[in-house]
Amino acid sequence: MRRRDLLKAGALAAGLVVGGQALEGTAEGTMEGTVEGTVEGTARAVPGPATRIALAGTDGYITIPGRAPVYIFGFLAVPPAMSIAELTAAYKGKAQHVAPVLDLGQDRDAYITLTNLGLVGRPDLVDSHTIHWHGFRTPATVFDGVPEVSVSVPIERQFTYFYRPHDPGTYMYHCHFEDVEHVQMGMTGIVFVRPAQDGSTALDPLRRSTTYAYNDGDGSTAYDRHFAILLNEIEEREHDADEQIQEFVFTDYDPQYYTLNGRVYPQTVLPNGHPSLPGQPVSSLVQVNPGDRALLRLANLGYEQHAMQLPGIPMKVVGEDATLRRSPSGADTSYPAGTLYIGPGEARDVLFTAPPFNPSARVSTDARGSYNTYLFKNRDFRRLSNHGAPGLGGMATEVRVYRGSPLPSQSVVGETYA
Amino acid sequence: MRKLIALVGAMVVAMALVPLPAPVARAQAAAPKQGLVCTGGPSFDLTARSGYIETPDGNSVLMWSYAPAQGGFQSPGPVLCVEQGDEVTVRLHNDLAEPVSIVFPGQLAVGGTGAPGLLAKEAPAGGDATYTFTAGRPGTYVYESGSDPSKQVEMGLYGALVVRPAGHPDYAYDAATRFDPKREYLMLLSDIDPDLHHAVETGGTYDFTTLRNRYFAINGRQFPDTLQNNGVSWLPAQPYGALVRVKSYDATGNPLPALIRMANVGALNHPFHPHGNHVRQIAQDGRPLRTPDGGDATGEHFGRTVASGQTQDFLFTWKDQDSWDSQGNPLPASVASPDYRNLTFKDGDTWSSGSAYLGAKGTLPVGTASQNVCGEWYFPWHSHALNEFTNFDAGFGGMATLLRVDPPGGCAAVAASSSILAGTPRSGTVAALATADTAYYQVDSTATGTPAADWSGGFAGVPTGATGLTVTYTGRNSAAALPTTLWAWKWSTGAWVQLGAAADVGTADATITRTLPAPQTDFLGTGANQGKVRVRVLTTGTATGFLTQGNLLRLTYDAP
Repeated sequence: MRRRDLLKAGALAAGLVVGGQALEGTAEGTMEGTVEGTVEGTARAVPGPATRIALAGTDGYITIPGRAPVYIFGFLAVPPAMSIAELTAAYKGKAQHVAPVLDLGQDRDAYITLTNLGLVGRPDLVDSHTIHWHGFRTPATVFDGVPEVSVSVPIERQFTYFYRPHDPGTYMYHCHFEDVEHVQMGMTGIVFVRPAQDGSTALDPLRRSTTYAYNDGDGSTAYDRHFAILLNEIEEREHDADEQIQEFVFTDYDPQYYTLNGRVYPQTVLPNGHPSLPGQPVSSLVQVNPGDRALLRLANLGYEQHAMQLPGIPMKVVGEDATLRRSPSGADTSYPAGTLYIGPGEARDVLFTAPPFNPSARVSTDARGSYNTYLFKNRDFRRLSNHGAPGLGGMATEVRVYRGSPLPSQSVVGETYA
Repeated sequence: MRKLIALVGAMVVAMALVPLPAPVARAQAAAPKQGLVCTGGPSFDLTARSGYIETPDGNSVLMWSYAPAQGGFQSPGPVLCVEQGDEVTVRLHNDLAEPVSIVFPGQLAVGGTGAPGLLAKEAPAGGDATYTFTAGRPGTYVYESGSDPSKQVEMGLYGALVVRPAGHPDYAYDAATRFDPKREYLMLLSDIDPDLHHAVETGGTYDFTTLRNRYFAINGRQFPDTLQNNGVSWLPAQPYGALVRVKSYDATGNPLPALIRMANVGALNHPFHPHGNHVRQIAQDGRPLRTPDGGDATGEHFGRTVASGQTQDFLFTWKDQDSWDSQGNPLPASVASPDYRNLTFKDGDTWSSGSAYLGAKGTLPVGTASQNVCGEWYFPWHSHALNEFTNFDAGFGGMATLLRVDPPGGCAAVAASSSILAGTPRSGTVAALATADTAYYQVDSTATGTPAADWSGGFAGVPTGATGLTVTYTGRNSAAALPTTLWAWKWSTGAWVQLGAAADVGTADATITRTLPAPQTDFLGTGANQGKVRVRVLTTGTATGFLTQGNLLRLTYDAP
């Protein structure tokens, strides 16, 4: 059963909240055909069926090797039909980090209802929460989620954010209430918008994919699999101070852990929803068949710039900040990247083609068979350690290229195959 | 966690610590309230000296700066504006106790006089140096100290240099980068470790490997001081604001983008995030972005890291994609009117209008103070290294400003009251004048002498400092081509002033638009009549009496 079916049934058991698959929400009605691109300066196209998503904000814990559980604030997906009282009873204190990946479609209205469940660990703290869709073009300010210029959601209250996304690409979302604190505490996730061009095989040069990063018109951003990976840091003194009712001076910021989707290596390669990581359901493992075109949807909601590499496999940046790398005059401004710099609040869409399986390289084996391993990692090797512990850790994950083509088609972004 | 801080109180304390009420710098004499403040050249006189800046958390920090020679201390140094090809001369006098200099990255063959220095001619303590160069290619550049830079640049010896294309003050580079000169903005990013400044102030020592910045500034101010106008009296040493103001794109009324010049004189790279809409990067380090074959390589971004020492230029257009409008294109009913009883306006103080629509005002909860003028929108623009979005330890400060999006036609007010000066009311209330629709405010003319329908509408809540006051009247009469005049009440003389010539208004709705004559402040009430504007509609006519039907009476203005 897929996660969206569970949500529809309203039968989301607590143990399944950590599932880690992308949250697709519930669609109203049926999908219609593609919506044509629009003329700038005019009102945009009438949207397709709406997507409705329910999120809750609360606190919880995540696991990092070598230390006590880390106190976090976070979002999690909840059943839309539940009352606030039912949500509070079922989910308060069960935050996850990173937040669920939100999978939305161009010109399809999105309603995201946020419920603030309050904090189990800090009953004295009565912070509101918001959702800020970082990078959304021309929102009504009331839906921009900045509490000083619009509204925020106090404890045991709900608010529905409304978006009509017109611009495909990879974005991020986070709480903007006391944002220097709430973002570091873990209220961060990726949201992406599929282009109207999706569904067409005619554009794919290989005539096999119906999915594209952008409305490229020429299939240059066709992909077979995609993966949403959020870069973050953990400053444990801030988390510990919050847990212990202390103030942290944010200009002292100097993190000890560097994460992908809220996990450090080797946690990053555990599958989605792994039982050892109930608060960190989202894997960063990249599993591909040889020849697959993989799209990495990357965003950075840490406070530091990161230099990411994928040694052995060339990366091509086709999008930045939810914008196809193409100039107004139509020039292709995509570029190859050996080392990809990505600053805080920035997003990149990166394509790579999985190389052939190489039996003479190092071969490992999992339930799907034999594979070669490539490492998607930070070049700054200080960030490849978990608080100075020996061995590889931190901001790294594996790209596994299998012998043969054992992996079925991806049914959800970042799907992992045990 | 709540980190409330009494900003106003803190500001008063900080000001008390700063004894010098600096005279207004020459650069500020004709400064616009918002946006880039240019100091024109091509000759400049600067004095390296020290002074204090104030931070929003109540601290004051010793800075060094290149101050205008005829003015008081200011940080950062003045924005030097020249044209490509100008023969530029910068004379530097040094009031500091150690040699200083200026380097101009991006400018070639800088000559001059002064003591020999490693990177540039130096002005010794109490002495002088001169720099001469031919202004090179257009763009945004920085100037900064070339002497002991780790100390002197961190202490504040920096500023921005703007080179404009000759003869084209409205081009950043070329015709493709034409912008609205009224909407040109500079964001000079800097960072401050107060420990260094304290060490300099007290003659102590400082180890640069321990650099830890606590204050992060745009144009020398930290949020929320960045929102204040240029040259406000309570920030005497920090004359440059950073509020960005735009209006919605309009192909005829507002076709040109704003220009955002960013320059980073700090030690760190700063990832800057504009909320609300993407910015289009057009240049870096004073060079337009081009493909290898010379094509356009500009691109849109919602976040861009401006590296230490780097400049980047952006064009910015607010193009409302959906143009949500309560009348013609409403938001879905389920989300258009949030129930504020279930929500919080943080700290009971907001920039929100209370409405989901641009240009409209809603009803805010009792006890919530609003900074909103007339339904404009605000979005923060800030460093997304969020530890820089703070003032030392207090969030929502530091390297941040706001984008203000004004309603497309400016602020609009509708008449709140009406009064009949001559004639008799037939039907309709002042509410009928709010929109051009099927509801009319109807006045029967007098029947004796020359018949006249003479009435007025009163507007309230017009903010002090409003400009561009313009009246729009739409109405019709029961007879053809009746001469109609608009008038405005001049509070200073207690008399009506006619606005332009009479226009004929017949039996179909006609619209008259009149701009109030200068000085418009004469027409804006003060004291007990604070914020009030009165507009009179006088129709005279025919031998037999007539009926005047007013449909719309609106006042539009640009808010301060």
